Amino acid sequence: MLHKVCNLYGYTDHDRQDLFQEIVVQLWRSYPGFRGEAKFSTWLYRIALNTAISDLRRQKKQFSSIDPVFLPTQLQDIQYSGEKEEQLQQLYAAIDQLTEIEKALVMLYLEDKSYDEMEEILGINQNNLRVKMNRIKEKLRKLTKETTHGIGKP
Amino acid sequence: MELENLKYIWRQVGDSPMQEPSDQQILILMGRKPRDPIAKMRRNLLVELIVVVLTYVPTIAWYLIGFDGKLSGIAWVLFAMMAFFAGYAYRKDRLLKDMLCVSCQVRSNLERQVRLLKKYTRFYLAIGSLLVPVMAVFSFVLIFWNLPASPARTASWTTLTTGAILLAGFAIGFYRFNVWYINKLYGRHIRKLQEMLREMDEV
Repeated sequence: MLHKVCNLYGYTDHDRQDLFQEIVVQLWRSYPGFRGEAKFSTWLYRIALNTAISDLRRQKKQFSSIDPVFLPTQLQDIQYSGEKEEQLQQLYAAIDQLTEIEKALVMLYLEDKSYDEMEEILGINQNNLRVKMNRIKEKLRKLTKETTHGIGKP
Repeated sequence: MELENLKYIWRQVGDSPMQEPSDQQILILMGRKPRDPIAKMRRNLLVELIVVVLTYVPTIAWYLIGFDGKLSGIAWVLFAMMAFFAGYAYRKDRLLKDMLCVSCQVRSNLERQVRLLKKYTRFYLAIGSLLVPVMAVFSFVLIFWNLPASPARTASWTTLTTGAILLAGFAIGFYRFNVWYINKLYGRHIRKLQEMLREMDEV
């Protein structure tokens, strides 16, 4: 899960490693304060997403270089079978065009989290979440269709 | 169907793309200082405090020992200022410490950051702008009372008025500089956080 957050929010390999280290440090520092009021996974997601979203240094780089041509190359070191790799790169390329908050929503959606859990993690009320999710799903459909060999091709 | 396909692909990713760190690497990570902006600000604050103490202590000693003790009042003012700066640094540190709540909900963490960062910059601006003019006035009054032969005593009203106008001009200029500097340091950060909050709230 941590690696997925790092892949979503880190632009370069260095960013991803840096973010991973930062999340691990924050988890380590926050663990004594974990009292089981929320599920462990909820707590884990909160720390990972808060760390990723709050660090605007990485976002600055992303905003300044959102050229889709370069997006798939961030996954060039990932070794998967040809078709799967291509689909994965397209998925990441589509997600990379979303805002930081939308990325968090998409990640939780892809992780099959319920609206209850999403609300617990993000602090957005469920009605608002449903509206946002519908909008983002539509956006994601379009973004994945736009790619030449789109995984969302009709 | 399409999105289910995306979910399927996402599940295939697993946790394999990055190399798993060894136990040794994890141990090194545990001892590492956090590199988030707030942790850096706290470290900078500590450096500032150390610089102030290292600068003020010899100056205080010099005023206490030198001038046959006639300017010991200035030493006490400087001591009071150093103590004030320590309190100021402590307050800033508390604000910074409370700013990040990584185990809170994402929205409340962002809201907390915006609220405390605004409070922090207001505090920074007020104290930063007042410190130099207040110190100048205090120093003038002390010299006036403690050194009978000082130029402050023999100066004409015109000179004093000119000095006061210059000090007021400097204070206003310094205030404007502080506004610009604080905006340069934190403005973009605050605006970005607010933008994210707005995005979370809008339906």
